[in-house]
Amino acid sequence: MTKIFWVTCPQCKGEFYCHWQELRHKKLKLLCPYCSHQFLDEESPKIVE
Amino acid sequence: MHMDLRAFLDDLQERLPYDFVRIERAVAPHQFEVTALLQHLENQKKFPVLFFEKPLSMDGKPSAFPLLSNVFATRQRCALSLGMKPNDGELPLSLEYARREDRMLDPVTIPRSEAPVKQVVKRGDDANIFELPVVRHHAMDPAPYIDMTPVMKDPERNFYNISFQRNMVKGPRKLGLHMSPRHNWQIHRKNEEKNRPTPVVIVISHHPAFYLGSLNVSAFGVDDYAKVGAIMGAPLRLTPSETLGEDFLVPADAEMVIEGHVLANVKEVEGPFGEFTGYYGPQRLRNVIEVSAITHRRDAIFQHIFTGHRDTWVLGGIPKEGSLFNLIRGVVPTVKAVHFPMSGSCRFNCYISIDKKVDGETKQAALAALGGCDFVKHVVVVDADIDIYNEEQVMWAVATRVQADQDVDIIKNVKGNTLDPSQTDNIMTAKMIIDATKPVQRPYEARVAVPKTAMEKTRLEDFIPRAVVDRLPKT
Repeated sequence: MTKIFWVTCPQCKGEFYCHWQELRHKKLKLLCPYCSHQFLDEESPKIVE
Repeated sequence: MHMDLRAFLDDLQERLPYDFVRIERAVAPHQFEVTALLQHLENQKKFPVLFFEKPLSMDGKPSAFPLLSNVFATRQRCALSLGMKPNDGELPLSLEYARREDRMLDPVTIPRSEAPVKQVVKRGDDANIFELPVVRHHAMDPAPYIDMTPVMKDPERNFYNISFQRNMVKGPRKLGLHMSPRHNWQIHRKNEEKNRPTPVVIVISHHPAFYLGSLNVSAFGVDDYAKVGAIMGAPLRLTPSETLGEDFLVPADAEMVIEGHVLANVKEVEGPFGEFTGYYGPQRLRNVIEVSAITHRRDAIFQHIFTGHRDTWVLGGIPKEGSLFNLIRGVVPTVKAVHFPMSGSCRFNCYISIDKKVDGETKQAALAALGGCDFVKHVVVVDADIDIYNEEQVMWAVATRVQADQDVDIIKNVKGNTLDPSQTDNIMTAKMIIDATKPVQRPYEARVAVPKTAMEKTRLEDFIPRAVVDRLPKT
């Protein structure tokens, strides 16, 4: 597995992770797997990378 | 009778009746209820086939299709699916797979009117994935996933490739497809370079030998339909697709197939998904399938595999054992067995036993395994006196026959698997060979053994009643 980053859903606060090269700083909406909210990575209250 | 899933289930209930559990109560697969039951059983080290008679579909209504789980979770059932005795599930199963995998058996084509999978045909908007009892597996999965086998056809050489790949349900006619850079990915890449979509058919449920056959480790270019026929022991029956053209053939005896196209140069977020490694693969940008038809038997059974658990591990390990046995035998004729243990998700760790005659044979065998299957990360080669299906024995050989500075080799920058969480690169990994064989060139100490004559003469039942022996706890 390549580099990942953890994000926190701004709506439900659920945490999950994404592929860094494909989704970090790409202005693409991430999909929260817990509540289906879509948000940009920069909207995450916490990012671990 | 043709080889199909229901024939296998009849055989299973007759020969291994305690392996089959029928659940009459309604269950919600899209709300983790199926995987919760499987996990409860796994926690008790129990791995039966579960047949859910009344699953709910994704739209929360009673589904028209029963749901089948956990078919591949034991080697005994896999042996049964190849027409063998359940007790032959270890070495004999690997060797039988190897024997069949060495061959090809061309498929036969039958008209649509004779194909069970065409009893019901739904095209366009009538093909609604939400009507199916699709399973949501693990907590971080964003949606239910279809985790069976997409089939693609090479646009230049016209061979078919079958592969287990995850398909996230994104809409009534839309799936998100994850492909590692292997054979189906190669086929789609060829089409995508010309901005063409790739026709695909997902085989939802079929005889388990179909799926064991689909996991052969043949080179790119080998027709998987012919290879699957050889593994099944009977030609695979095919029939023309509904929406992918007359010359795109689909398995006629499947319970259900989904037809569609992988869109060219379209990617959307997909995942995370609990993968075979036992970890979640991350959310990624992945391909999209637009569904064009669903065809099925009137009373079709819907199947899934419990990814990240024994159901996927055993299924993936047996074909690799057979394929690599054939490959290694070409360079080390004294190879005795090849085994992918559960401890490596039946993918990453490979144990090989050889009757070593020359010292270099160990590395020959290990390198063949590493070259033959890119999943393989750690190879342990042992002597023929070690039972490689018994991990305690393998680790004993490692403990007593290995000097790390002499017997361990690390090979850097080799193609690995994108789902291996320990990789620091997307593609590249490091491989390790452990030579746990005794040297040929110098005398070596002998294993302890009670004299054979004493074992034969001194019978346990003459000293301890059988009933007492039977009551003794196993450790």
